Amino acid sequence: MAGFADLNLPQGPDKKSLQSLLEAAAHLGYSAVALNHVIDFKEKKQEIVKPVSPLELFPSLPIVQGTSKRIKVLTRLTLVVSDPSHCNLLRSTSANIRLYDIIAVFPKTEKLFHIACTTLDVDLVCINVTEKLPFYFRRPPVNMAVDRGICFELLYAPAIKDSTMRRYTISNAISLMQICKGKNIVISSAAERPLELRGPYDVANLGLLFGLSESEAKAAVSTNCRATILHGETRKSACGVVYTVKKPRKVEEEETPLPACKKVKTQA
Amino acid sequence: MVRFKNRYVLCEVVSEDPRCRQCIEDRAVGLAVRDAIGRVHGDYGLACCSISFTVKYLNAYTGTVLLRCRKDSYRLLCSALPFVRQLESRNQRYPCFLNTLHVGGTIRTCQKFLIQYNRRQLLMLLQNCTNEEERRCIQKSLLSCSLTEEQSQSGDEEDDDGTETD
Repeated sequence: MAGFADLNLPQGPDKKSLQSLLEAAAHLGYSAVALNHVIDFKEKKQEIVKPVSPLELFPSLPIVQGTSKRIKVLTRLTLVVSDPSHCNLLRSTSANIRLYDIIAVFPKTEKLFHIACTTLDVDLVCINVTEKLPFYFRRPPVNMAVDRGICFELLYAPAIKDSTMRRYTISNAISLMQICKGKNIVISSAAERPLELRGPYDVANLGLLFGLSESEAKAAVSTNCRATILHGETRKSACGVVYTVKKPRKVEEEETPLPACKKVKTQA
Repeated sequence: MVRFKNRYVLCEVVSEDPRCRQCIEDRAVGLAVRDAIGRVHGDYGLACCSISFTVKYLNAYTGTVLLRCRKDSYRLLCSALPFVRQLESRNQRYPCFLNTLHVGGTIRTCQKFLIQYNRRQLLMLLQNCTNEEERRCIQKSLLSCSLTEEQSQSGDEEDDDGTETD
């Protein structure tokens, strides 16, 4: 059973608040968490800095409630793109991008959504929940993204804070569900304070509001998150992954039973 | 057998402010949950969920709450619980949130789950213990928690020995 994961915790400059967020997440039962660093290109040109290793930030990680393991902390980068030229950053072989565990993109126009689903090398595509979508989802790019293993991400912290955001979240989520039939969805918080986090059972119930079935909603918090983390790992390491599995040796039945000494020789 | 089927939802009130504990009362929690259902599901949802809605059990020391509702409308209730943001009583507001632990069909199953959960919490507290005295207290209560046949008023769960390491 995949553990629960929350893939979007905004990384602020304050270390103590991050520590309290981590402790709240561990208390609620999340086994993996990703610290999110957002890059917005509308502002002046920003440099992509190297991700701060979690071991430096937190000397001791809290233990997840219900298991005896420590919580896993990953690093994540989100690029807010509103122009095709911003995507060049992803294609360039800049060393800093490769160091992040998960890469997400937040497209603002239909063309960019199409490019992100079909050609860009990312793990997550964020869906805007704070305003009415300027474009409708179409089936071909969504199906291609599902084939490539890219997940769509929905945030729930704006829905908890404000009532108009809640309406936008639910309408955008339901229009996405109608196209992708509930596959490859990841629900995560963008919680800035520990009070905005919710336990994994509650987040799965939120998925019911978004139009998912119960098994799909539970998968949105556990299995799809694990798939995204693995997708990021394969992107970091190589072009593909080869799994080797030991095949059980077939015992062939022989018609004439061999004497024992001969059998030992043939088996050795 | 024709009878009304209920669902019992076990939640935990989590808050940063330690004074919130004294504010946890059944009326305050019931109001907060009804308010959240009204905001999310509107008048229809509020009416559906309040057919057999009560707060059955409340433990202010650990923040455990047991809610009851009809089986037909428990989905409406569960999907509105993440939207509870604050508890209000006696003109004091404390920000908090509810963490759903277990949904069961009878009070007995919820009680069994709660005993296991509290035992795990006591084990975690035991790890963080510094004092030998506290250690002995916790070990004694760990060994003595069980589901006995007598139906005492508050059930057989443990409350913490006041050594909360929040």
